[in-house]
Amino acid sequence: MKHSNMLAMILAGGRGSRLHELTNKVAKPAVSYGGKYRIVDFPLSNCANSGIDIVGVLTQYESILLNSYVAAGRRWGLDAKNSGVYVLPPREKADSNLDVYRGTADAISQNIDFIDSYAPEYVLILSGDHIYKMDYDKMLDAHKEHQADATIAVIQVPIKEASRFGIMNTDETGRIVEFEEKPEHPKSNLASMGIYIFNWKLLRRMLTADMKNPDSSHDFGKDIIPQLLADGKTLFAYHFKGYWKDVGTIDSLWEANMDLLDKNNELDLNDHTWKIYTEDVSIPPQYIGETADIKRAFITQGCIIDGTVHNSVLFTGARVSETAKVIDSVLMPGVKIAEGATVTRALVAANTKIGKGAVVGSADSEHIELVSKDIKGVE
Amino acid sequence: MAKAFGIVNFAGNHIRVEGMQAYRPIGAFSFLGRYRLIDFPISNMSNSGIDHIQVYIRRKPRSLVEHLGTGRHYNINSKKGKLHMLFSENGVENDIYNNDIAAYLENMECIEDVHYPYVVIAPSYMVYSMNYQNLLKNHIKSGADITLLYHSVDNAKEFFSNCSILNLNRQNGVLSLEPNRGNVENRNIFMDTYVMKKDLFIELVHEAKKISSVFTLADIVNQKCAELDIRGMAHSGFFASITDFKSYYHANIALNNYQTARTLFDLNWPIYTKTNDSCPTQYFETSNVHTSVISDGCLIEGSIENSIIGRGCIIKKGAVIKNSVILPGCTIDEDVWIENQVIDKRAQIVHAKELIADENHPGYVRRGDRI
Repeated sequence: MKHSNMLAMILAGGRGSRLHELTNKVAKPAVSYGGKYRIVDFPLSNCANSGIDIVGVLTQYESILLNSYVAAGRRWGLDAKNSGVYVLPPREKADSNLDVYRGTADAISQNIDFIDSYAPEYVLILSGDHIYKMDYDKMLDAHKEHQADATIAVIQVPIKEASRFGIMNTDETGRIVEFEEKPEHPKSNLASMGIYIFNWKLLRRMLTADMKNPDSSHDFGKDIIPQLLADGKTLFAYHFKGYWKDVGTIDSLWEANMDLLDKNNELDLNDHTWKIYTEDVSIPPQYIGETADIKRAFITQGCIIDGTVHNSVLFTGARVSETAKVIDSVLMPGVKIAEGATVTRALVAANTKIGKGAVVGSADSEHIELVSKDIKGVE
Repeated sequence: MAKAFGIVNFAGNHIRVEGMQAYRPIGAFSFLGRYRLIDFPISNMSNSGIDHIQVYIRRKPRSLVEHLGTGRHYNINSKKGKLHMLFSENGVENDIYNNDIAAYLENMECIEDVHYPYVVIAPSYMVYSMNYQNLLKNHIKSGADITLLYHSVDNAKEFFSNCSILNLNRQNGVLSLEPNRGNVENRNIFMDTYVMKKDLFIELVHEAKKISSVFTLADIVNQKCAELDIRGMAHSGFFASITDFKSYYHANIALNNYQTARTLFDLNWPIYTKTNDSCPTQYFETSNVHTSVISDGCLIEGSIENSIIGRGCIIKKGAVIKNSVILPGCTIDEDVWIENQVIDKRAQIVHAKELIADENHPGYVRRGDRI
């Protein structure tokens, strides 16, 4: 089925170094979230649900897992004829040396040939490390309606936090008149979500020029968008309402997981009209034992619970033994909590074992404790 | 070593699961919340390296066809391998003729076309894990003509009705097959699983038809016990035969025990099923869950004990579910008490405040009912 003439490029090269050990071996888009997902499942599922057939995923940092994960386009239903997910790490070309992606714009520039081969009218640029549900097709409708050269998705943020974002100042029609990257004194609270629709012909010209500019940092926010505005192009803001989270730190990743515990939470992963697709694992459903005590929790298949789980999110195959306590915590896939251990306000990395009687984290800590090494039991 | 192809067979005319079978063949029954019964034989075959699998379907194919789809989720090579759905339409006017032999004859061309010398035949209505390579190796080593899989049980009086039993000699030679009449506790229950040469299988199918139009494969094998070398091979681990309503209920409830479940599920022996892309299950402040198996995509505010909850169920505040099997997509409303029940798919228990059955005679709520 032919859907739109828009192709999507997901920028998934970032390390996310403030996630510490979680991104030692995997890039940030491959980090686990919400019990059974990886962050990159969100933009990929959004693409699939928005009727986008071709998705390029630009990988760079620790990309082995991400490459193999994303290459199975079938998971998101992106495997029909003329449809696919393509992994695009930097590559050597006849006319240039092998080079890393020097910035977000450069990553696209280095794949102009890939995009050209599909001859799309529009190109959608996405970030691979945000959690949200969005219909890009509606954004494309707005883009066409405005006859814009580029459309940028924006979300309202609290004005006191606005200086952490790229801020769009718009006129009354929604046209962007000014863009300020992390302004000290923000004039509006419309933050860029790093989601752009461009007319491909224009973007292609811009990127070709940008590549030759020795002063450019080859970044969409710092170089391409300001240049478009300077050239007097028509840029519109597309207002997004709903859940959107950039999980840059351990605290914010923990918080984004905790958000799922609220009744009628905004992300609503249970929405059958906009499912988030992920890897299909062949393990039995969750086993809840006789001694289990579960209150406010998000638990998935393969978990075995014999202990106490309060206010926590448990990922595929996590085990909580009898008399163990897991409070206000996130247990990533395959984590094992032995008898008598207590885990409070912690984020336990995949396959970590917490030994018998061990105490991890504390209820009054300022930050969430990241546990990524096995903790020995207390005899 | 893929020397054998697989056949997954439907339940014979003597098998009837009250209630549920009105909507779908037994192979398509939801099992343990997220599986369908047919996932077990197909996963066993796939894990055993059998990549050509024929699934025979006779009535109400919709749910089974939808579930099996292209078969990709069973981890079968998508080019070399094949999950082949075969239908039998003969004898629609009179069911007694519509048995396994009729289905094999109708699709004989497809059987003859397969290049593997051996065939493993397994039922779609029994739950067990088994490496069929071991069965095949054992069969070839023994030099037997046919090997039949059986499970020794000590409760054949009350359970395993509608099953056959094997009478064995001391060398595990099969003397005869007969229906389980429920008069003796210790029996070798025939698991309706066979391995033999493909050529012998084809021969037996033709011969059965000559003898009687209503002869089944088990009938002809029984008749051949004196003539051919037919042996039994014992199976160990979890075994359930879904051949009546009670056995369906009990097989589900038995797997509530994790130690029991470990004899069915093994990390190195995955049971594949079609993913529904459900999100994890959400437990709320008022939830109270013990000794239960819970599938993904549920919203749980009530109490659940010793029960199986299917995918995407909503259990509201104050609801109590005890010793019950809730199939996918059901809603149990506030303060409803459910005990010893099987609630079929997408039913909603809203008005009734109590659905309590005797523990020896579990109740049944029909698919999609609103009570």
